[in-house]
Amino acid sequence: MTLNYFRSAGAAWAAGTALVVATAVLTAQQQTQLPPPTQRVAPPPDTTNTGKAVEEFTAKVKTYAALHQKIEAGLPKLPKEASPQQKDFNQRELGRLIKQARATAKQSDVLTPTMQAYVRQQLVKIFAGAEGAARLASVMDENPVGAKVGVNDRYPDSIPLSTMPPEVLQVLPKMPEELEYRFVGDNLVILDPHAHLIVDYMPAALPKGKKS
Amino acid sequence: MKTRETWLAPLAAAAIAITAATCTLAQPEPTAGPAAVTAPPAQAPPATLRNASNSMKIGVMGDFGTGTRVQYETAAQMLKTYQAFKYEIVLLTGDNLYGDERPQDFVLKFEKPYKPLLDAGVKFYASLGNHDSREQRTYPPFNMGDKLYYSFKAPRQDVRFFAFESTYPEPEQIKWLEDELKGSREAWKVMFFHHPLYSSGGRHGSDTQLRGVLEPLFIKYNVSMVLTGHDHFYERTKPQKGIVYFVLGAGGQLRMGNIDRTSGITARGFDTDTSFMVGEFIDDEFVFQAISRTGQIIDSGTVSRRKAEDAGGAPATRPR
Repeated sequence: MTLNYFRSAGAAWAAGTALVVATAVLTAQQQTQLPPPTQRVAPPPDTTNTGKAVEEFTAKVKTYAALHQKIEAGLPKLPKEASPQQKDFNQRELGRLIKQARATAKQSDVLTPTMQAYVRQQLVKIFAGAEGAARLASVMDENPVGAKVGVNDRYPDSIPLSTMPPEVLQVLPKMPEELEYRFVGDNLVILDPHAHLIVDYMPAALPKGKKS
Repeated sequence: MKTRETWLAPLAAAAIAITAATCTLAQPEPTAGPAAVTAPPAQAPPATLRNASNSMKIGVMGDFGTGTRVQYETAAQMLKTYQAFKYEIVLLTGDNLYGDERPQDFVLKFEKPYKPLLDAGVKFYASLGNHDSREQRTYPPFNMGDKLYYSFKAPRQDVRFFAFESTYPEPEQIKWLEDELKGSREAWKVMFFHHPLYSSGGRHGSDTQLRGVLEPLFIKYNVSMVLTGHDHFYERTKPQKGIVYFVLGAGGQLRMGNIDRTSGITARGFDTDTSFMVGEFIDDEFVFQAISRTGQIIDSGTVSRRKAEDAGGAPATRPR
């Protein structure tokens, strides 16, 4: 009886251990699927809906970059040793003219709903588990909870830039020099850092219930 | 805020704790392991800078651009130090300007407080923090060459400095860093950037995500020293996997009492006033002093550089 008890207890323990190990391996696999930090995650194939959404996003980003470059080229050329006044004038003018050119732009124009679904899927994986909690803490460091953003808004000078965990940048498509990703609150923002302009954003991009 | 005349006046006659005498520290043991720190015991007189004619002298600070009286007073102390110890460059570990970055802010938060140093030809090299706009890279006094991340060889001694943009560690930047570190033939490889990989800060603390990516490169390619900011205090860590980490985030900001003394990584910490660091590379040693706004030497010692054969070794600290 006692022996049987120990046998069955041992079997239960072994089964439990196996389950824990399997779960751990699964979680580890899920979290270690990333390539080395010097490489980006390959985008989904363009034959899928998601792949098409990523392609479309990349094309929209390129279109924006071209607009940025065109408007910038039309601004007075700054001397090599331009003063902060000259640079400030150019930067504000760049923002004003881009905003004017994109007057009808609205939320999800660049980050389309399908693209948002793909991004959210990637972020859920990145922010899962204990590692994910540490990443989330890093993102929320000095990041104002509940901050409101809008397309064509100037990025507020008073809000520091969120730290982007390397893993987040690995899974998102590469941006051209004119744009970058940032989190403002739980919004994932497409920011033109030169014009200080919010180009588009995705609300509730961070996993629910984990905001600090 | 004090006027320039007001805060410069007392400096001329002021004496500082640095002497041109040779170092009072015992010669460190030959380096057989990773970067070692030789620091005087807490109650001993501070290590004296050698002020050697051929050394590479630097200043380091971060989190300074507030435009407040405290920043100006800390800047005044930097000038006082400079009058006896002519550092050629100052490495900035980010958060160079807080809040607005209008033209007048560059004057108020940088050009005015450090004018005597700028006029004396001291060159500042910036890295960017989370409070800095990307456009600071085009600001000539920050010597970033329009780049968010860059490296440069020191004008003397065998040293290369690497500035990393730690708020946006995208794969291309990490690849760049790996290539730069790999290709660098300098004996000293010194990193400077904003977010600390090791910090006892109660507010921010260690950035373990970034650490997971950068530390293996630092170990593999023999980085000897890492200079960071973000947490608003001074901290020197015990060597971590053979590398010495400094947190220098109190150039103008201060988070009083924020060092968690139970972290187990602190070799020396100071969180009751603003501060900066000066030091000099002489062959295989970096002799340093960390100095507070009021001129108190809050830490000092010598870091021995890591050598190629040290890569991947266990940490070693050799207090005197």
